[in-house]
Amino acid sequence: MSGKIYSKPVTFAVMATVAVLVGTAVTMAYPLVRPEMHVKVEGLKPLPALELAGRDVYQREGCVSCHTQTVRPLKSEVVRYLGSRAQEPTARYSLAGEFAYDHPFLWGSKRTGPDLAFEGWIKPSADWQRAHLENPQKLVAKSNMPAYAFLSGEKVDAPAVAASMRALRRVGVPYTDADVTAAGADVAGKTNMDALVAYVLSLGKAVNRGAPGGVDVDLAAANPLGAAVAAVARGKQLWDANGCAACHGDEAHGQDGVAPNLVDEEFLGQKGDLPDAAYFAMIKGGSEVKPALGRPGVADGGMQAFGSDLKDEDIWAIVSFLRNQKGHEATESKAEEAKEHHEAAERRAKDRK
Amino acid sequence: MTDYRYDNRTVQGFILSAIFWGVVGIVVGLLISIQMWAPGANFAPYLTFGRLRPVHTNGLAFGLGVGSIFGLSYWIVMRLCKRPLLFPKLARVQLWLFNAGIALAALSLMAGHTQSLEYAELEWPLDVAIVVLWVMFAVNVFGTIVKRNEEQMYVSLWYIIATVIAVAVLYLVNNLAVPASLTKSYHLFAGVNSANVQWWYGHNAVGFVFTTPILAMFYYFLPKATGLPIFSHRLSIVAFWSLVFAYMWTGAHHLVYTPLPDWLQTLGIVFTVFLIAPSWGSVVNGFYTVGQDWSKMRSSYLTKFFVLGITFYGLQTVQGPTQALRVVSQLIHYTDWVPGHVHMGTMGWVTMTVCASVYYVIPKIYGTEIFSEKIANVHFWLVLVGQLLFSITMWITGIRQGWMWKATDAEGKLVYRNFIDTIAGNYPYWHTRTLAGIVFTVGMLFFVYNVLMTIRKGRALERSEAPAAPAAVTVA
Ligand code: HEC
Ligand code: HEC
Ligand code: HEM
Repeated sequence: MSGKIYSKPVTFAVMATVAVLVGTAVTMAYPLVRPEMHVKVEGLKPLPALELAGRDVYQREGCVSCHTQTVRPLKSEVVRYLGSRAQEPTARYSLAGEFAYDHPFLWGSKRTGPDLAFEGWIKPSADWQRAHLENPQKLVAKSNMPAYAFLSGEKVDAPAVAASMRALRRVGVPYTDADVTAAGADVAGKTNMDALVAYVLSLGKAVNRGAPGGVDVDLAAANPLGAAVAAVARGKQLWDANGCAACHGDEAHGQDGVAPNLVDEEFLGQKGDLPDAAYFAMIKGGSEVKPALGRPGVADGGMQAFGSDLKDEDIWAIVSFLRNQKGHEATESKAEEAKEHHEAAERRAKDRK
Repeated sequence: MTDYRYDNRTVQGFILSAIFWGVVGIVVGLLISIQMWAPGANFAPYLTFGRLRPVHTNGLAFGLGVGSIFGLSYWIVMRLCKRPLLFPKLARVQLWLFNAGIALAALSLMAGHTQSLEYAELEWPLDVAIVVLWVMFAVNVFGTIVKRNEEQMYVSLWYIIATVIAVAVLYLVNNLAVPASLTKSYHLFAGVNSANVQWWYGHNAVGFVFTTPILAMFYYFLPKATGLPIFSHRLSIVAFWSLVFAYMWTGAHHLVYTPLPDWLQTLGIVFTVFLIAPSWGSVVNGFYTVGQDWSKMRSSYLTKFFVLGITFYGLQTVQGPTQALRVVSQLIHYTDWVPGHVHMGTMGWVTMTVCASVYYVIPKIYGTEIFSEKIANVHFWLVLVGQLLFSITMWITGIRQGWMWKATDAEGKLVYRNFIDTIAGNYPYWHTRTLAGIVFTVGMLFFVYNVLMTIRKGRALERSEAPAAPAAVTVA
């Protein structure tokens, strides 16, 4: 560098500008015209009105401060976020083409909480999502996520949703006039909580990441582990380690509006127990196996399939644990009943005196 | 001296504003650090972690960072050009607009108005205000340099010019958005492009807000404080050009393993690794400068601030390129390691250098000495301890959690299937981080006290030196 430019500010400024623009041109501007930066997965659709409103809430509340939205193509990550279930190997992690309508991207930079890119597959229950957003610590005691109960008291701002659609149309998202006109009606009466839940449940759904095929339900199959003490203990361990308690509670008593009690008289919403194999099928295949079991359960389902995370043997161990838990309850309630009988008898005896 | 009086007051105004927003930002930092382990400390809707984190980052990057850059750059420009600012009134207007802008920025972020782009969260009306501020700054800096009374431009001026240009380019492009209303807009770019443009901006916001203008301060105030000339002019030249050239290529290291095309990731990683060289050019230059006479560490209290500052800069610029490598990124990215890394730069390098520069400038405005070197030393040690404790705890827990995320057994099943089991172990470290923050904050309060007392002392001196003026007039 000749010494002259250090006494010529204009020349110097021009040179500095050129220096910063070279990297800018190659790594920022040039990619904007590259085809691989403009891919779209098949059938990608802009978010419907309610989900769009939910995305705005997600932005407003800064969920991106704690949650990422991109599953990396790393083995452990694909397993953790259940991408491993996807039939297509490329659907197991996040794809550029899923985000073609994301203005801006919401991939985030910090995972204080788990990644949410595939959340629509991971926790598909609207009830759970709502209950969790209202009070995270109630479902996951050690969570540090803030409570967002106030969202249930806020109505979606319908004109704002239509304005958002129009603005997004200007940056290239193909909303039709009909979409914009219908937006008001689509969000009528909905709260920001409804919107946020709808958005969260839409995450990762642009690509099919469902389990390959269904689960063969064989109601005649017996639990190979039976009631072995070791199996029960292992089942309890797996119960804790796989987050069943987040929905069904520590002792499988269920939580109102989130997930059913697994140790009461009912199974999938009807009185009367089903064999171990039905438990096995529900855990392995999730709510999708309900038709094969012939029971209604919860209307919008919400039990996820654990088949790709748990070996069959592990699932049986959990069943052993649940059976054991159920046995406990039965004995306890019998003891309780007996006690009540006894007390009542005593009272009667007193009355007679 | 009197020629500079008005401008010096503007400089002091920027410094005091920067300190004010710095304290606000740090207190918010303490609050969010508490929210990380006590979710009950979230006060919905305005004071939840999600909304406050950007208040913390913007308050410190724009309030403390840009505020002190405005003030100290003006000081440096005037001294190196041997003349007052070309547009003194404009600088004063800029000062008021700056404070109004930062106040509105903090309020709007708490109200949830955000673009969700890191360090570019502010919505478009505030973006317009920031562009206006930057144009005012550019006009004064360039105008004063063009009309200077000194032939050669010293290194610090190079870095200031590069800052003005680069930040303008970055800010204008990344904030391109289409408004839906006064408080809501949508990024012009989508998905991978949105990500790529944002991190081209995001990393260079670090480069041209937390690096080049701070280097300008370092190159100017280190020789002033120690009386030692910069070790090598040639090294300054090489380091400058390679730094401003290489920085703009590196943003993609924030997007390793994302859906961004591989070639862009690799290009970003390669340039990031190269960035060690120009960074260490300045580190070596700094060390050899003080190396001409190490006794300055004892005799001049400011020397240790600069030496520690440049040491943290050196560590940071080794750590940064290492983090970009794919094998390292997959372990530490998204974990607490990153705040550990960030705060070594912000609390160690930036805050250390800015505080030392302020300690130099404030007494000079009044032709006096610092109120108390002893307090400055206490400030130094507290800030150092707080910073180290912060970063070290975050590094440990970052690696710990990153490893738990990856741990699989022989059959490829996750050892820690439940995400919450990987969080539980963070709590002791998050407690310690708050403790570190308190130590750091106390250190900074010593600094604030020292600065205010020096100004008080200076004012008293001025009053006694202006015998003709009745006291009441001086106060007004
Ligand atoms: C302070 C950081 C923080 C903020 C802010 C935050 N979360 Fe969370 N989130 C967490 C943590 C930690 C977990 C894991 C523990 C749990 O389930 O509560 C979590 C879990 C979740 C889950 C369950 C994921 C799963 O598969 O188990 C969802 C969904 C979620 N958060 C959505 C949100 C939304 C939506 C927002 C914004 C309104 C938000 N979070 C804000 C920290 C945060
Ligand atoms: C995201 C919340 C959630 C998690 C996590 C979850 N479940 Fe469920 N589970 C549900 C819901 C909701 C239903 C009701 C499904 C339906 O009716 O379609 C259900 C149903 C079931 C049933 C059927 C029994 C009945 O009475 O309806 C069994 C058995 C079961 N879950 C076991 C488990 C086990 C074991 C785990 C952990 C490996 C687990 N669940 C994890 C939400 C969850
Ligand atoms: C009392 C001192 C401080 C405390 C307690 C503190 C605390 C925090 C916390 C809790 C976070 C969020 C980390 C996360 O999301 O996991 C954060 C982020 C951040 N802070 Fe601070 N901070 C302090 C000082 C500073 C200073 C002085 C600066 C700058 C001058 C700064 C700049 C930042 C930046 C840029 C981030 C974003 C980091 C990232 O994106 O990873 N902080 N801080």
